[in-house]
Amino acid sequence: MMTRRGVPGPRGPGHGGPGVAGTRAAPAEGEQRLGPAAVRTSGLSRRYGKVTALTDCTVTVPEGRICALIGPNGAGKTTLLRLLAGLAGPTAGQATVNGTTPRQDPAFLADIGFLAQEIPLYRRLSAEDHIRAGGHLNARWDAASVKQRLHALNVPLDRAVGRLSGGQRAQVALALTLAKQPRLLLLDEPVAALDPLARRNFLGLLADAVAAGGLTVVLSSHLVADLERVCDHLIMLASSRVQLCGDIEELLAEHQMLVGPRKDTTAIERLHQVVQVTRTPRQTTMLVRLNGPVIDPAFQASDVGLEELVLGYMGQDAPSALAHLTATGDDQ
Amino acid sequence: MTWLVWRQHRIQFGLGAALLAAFAVLIVITGVQVANQYHAAQAACAAGEGCRQLGGLFMGSRVVGFLVISTLGAPALVGLFWGAPLLAAEFEAGTTQFAWMQSVTRRRWLAVKVGWMLLAAAVWGGVISILVTWWSGPNNAEQLDAFHPGRFDIMGLVPVAYSVFAMALGIAAGALLRRTLPAIAVTLAGFITVRALIALLLRPHYMSAVTVTYNVLVGYTPPGSYWRLAQGVLGPNGQPINQNTNGNVVNGIPVSYLPASCNGPARGAYKLPPSCSQALAHFHGFLTYQPAGRYWAFQGIETGIFLALAAALLALTAVVVLRRDV
Repeated sequence: MMTRRGVPGPRGPGHGGPGVAGTRAAPAEGEQRLGPAAVRTSGLSRRYGKVTALTDCTVTVPEGRICALIGPNGAGKTTLLRLLAGLAGPTAGQATVNGTTPRQDPAFLADIGFLAQEIPLYRRLSAEDHIRAGGHLNARWDAASVKQRLHALNVPLDRAVGRLSGGQRAQVALALTLAKQPRLLLLDEPVAALDPLARRNFLGLLADAVAAGGLTVVLSSHLVADLERVCDHLIMLASSRVQLCGDIEELLAEHQMLVGPRKDTTAIERLHQVVQVTRTPRQTTMLVRLNGPVIDPAFQASDVGLEELVLGYMGQDAPSALAHLTATGDDQ
Repeated sequence: MTWLVWRQHRIQFGLGAALLAAFAVLIVITGVQVANQYHAAQAACAAGEGCRQLGGLFMGSRVVGFLVISTLGAPALVGLFWGAPLLAAEFEAGTTQFAWMQSVTRRRWLAVKVGWMLLAAAVWGGVISILVTWWSGPNNAEQLDAFHPGRFDIMGLVPVAYSVFAMALGIAAGALLRRTLPAIAVTLAGFITVRALIALLLRPHYMSAVTVTYNVLVGYTPPGSYWRLAQGVLGPNGQPINQNTNGNVVNGIPVSYLPASCNGPARGAYKLPPSCSQALAHFHGFLTYQPAGRYWAFQGIETGIFLALAAALLALTAVVVLRRDV
């Protein structure tokens, strides 16, 4: 009955959401969702010794999307990105990226841009050196755009990157990743080191690049407000499992916040999936995944934002709140 | 990829080349002096002006002589300072994630990096060996010790193999440990251990040694730069004689094994009494050695062993780097 963790996260594209969400989906969007997938995984798992980093991950990211990868620390975000980039191999399941299994092959690598959280650059080499190295290591390489971009950002090209500021280093690494002109860009916490203005600029640049076509982005971050502005797709991980995956607009439409008096909520639980419950002596607040319209007049329904949705699924106290719910529910 | 290897390691390459050049200048200058002295002494000897000068020839300066001996450790340097950090530093800084996400496979990345480093190691060992071998020419001709442990190891082919092995050991340690300092420590310990074990335990047995017995009154010296493994004296019953004694020794035999007539009070008397000579005839000297003619065979065998070890270490490196996640 308490199936919070049992939410079938991967609602693949094309399945649509039942109930109100399905009826609200525009036809044009439906067509877009049926397009080819840049990323498709099924049952993807990865263990490191006894530690399970990713379990049974089944997600799809259609081409041309900017997909937010959200989850608490240690949820498996980095592992998923590394599996997609081919830097690590899965212990079970499979991934299909740009139509092929991630592998050591120049053609596959040419279409993937990956930027690790650590912003790996050769500290003693300058940005200029990195640009030249990229030219030697890639068949497709847009050196001019990197230089232009770093010039505009006032990042010195001739200084060893070890002596640049953290933000400048991140800008160099991001510019280099874009210079490959990949079809799929995998970014692990790329904006963490940037100031708010640089962050906004970078995300704007990403949005423009995706709008220009031929690019899909998967981007992990803790900054939900930033993601909300540019992302149109969401993968949410917690405790190494997928909690949610799908079009952000549809996910938001499928969820509602119900506020009502503190009373028996079993009727709502029977109909809908309760994600999170907060009780005060006077009222009950619930985040629910709808399976149809809410007919109980005692509850006021309101739309949710990405942040509320994410926090609802992420909330570490959610299980205990549910336990509390069942205990008091039996009393009444 | 080659460009990146060059750009990453050009300071190391430059430093290595500068060290080799400085060493070469020193060796050539002193080597010419040594050769001139040697030829002058040889000419004097041939002209009958006395050959004592030849034996006591001052072979170069003491400092250069020490430097030449210390090239024993030169192969280890490339393993410690080039090999160990090659992969470990990349893993440590996470830069493999930059290199491996360009359109270059790990296999090629590894092959090019390791390939250039092995070439550099071979050049390093080769140049040092050529210089040392040339410099030691007169010394070898006079001392006939080229086959001896410590001299064998700094001349000919083996320094090249040692350098390649040290490089491979450093690279493998770096790939396995992924941290530079532990990799350097393991490389140093591993290099010394393997070199010592092979030189002490294996090398004497590459080919079965030759043993000759000889008359202690005449003595025996094999021709050329042979390698003496064991030498001693057997008593009348064939039992080995303990030659370590504080007392007097006659032809290598302590007087306690000999009749009293051998222990003459007159230290200056060169002529042994007949009874003593007769007693000495029952003793036999023996010499176990590797003949000088086997020098290059031994060089070849030792080179082969170290190159094979290097190949095994590189295969291990490839498995670790290509199979394992970053």
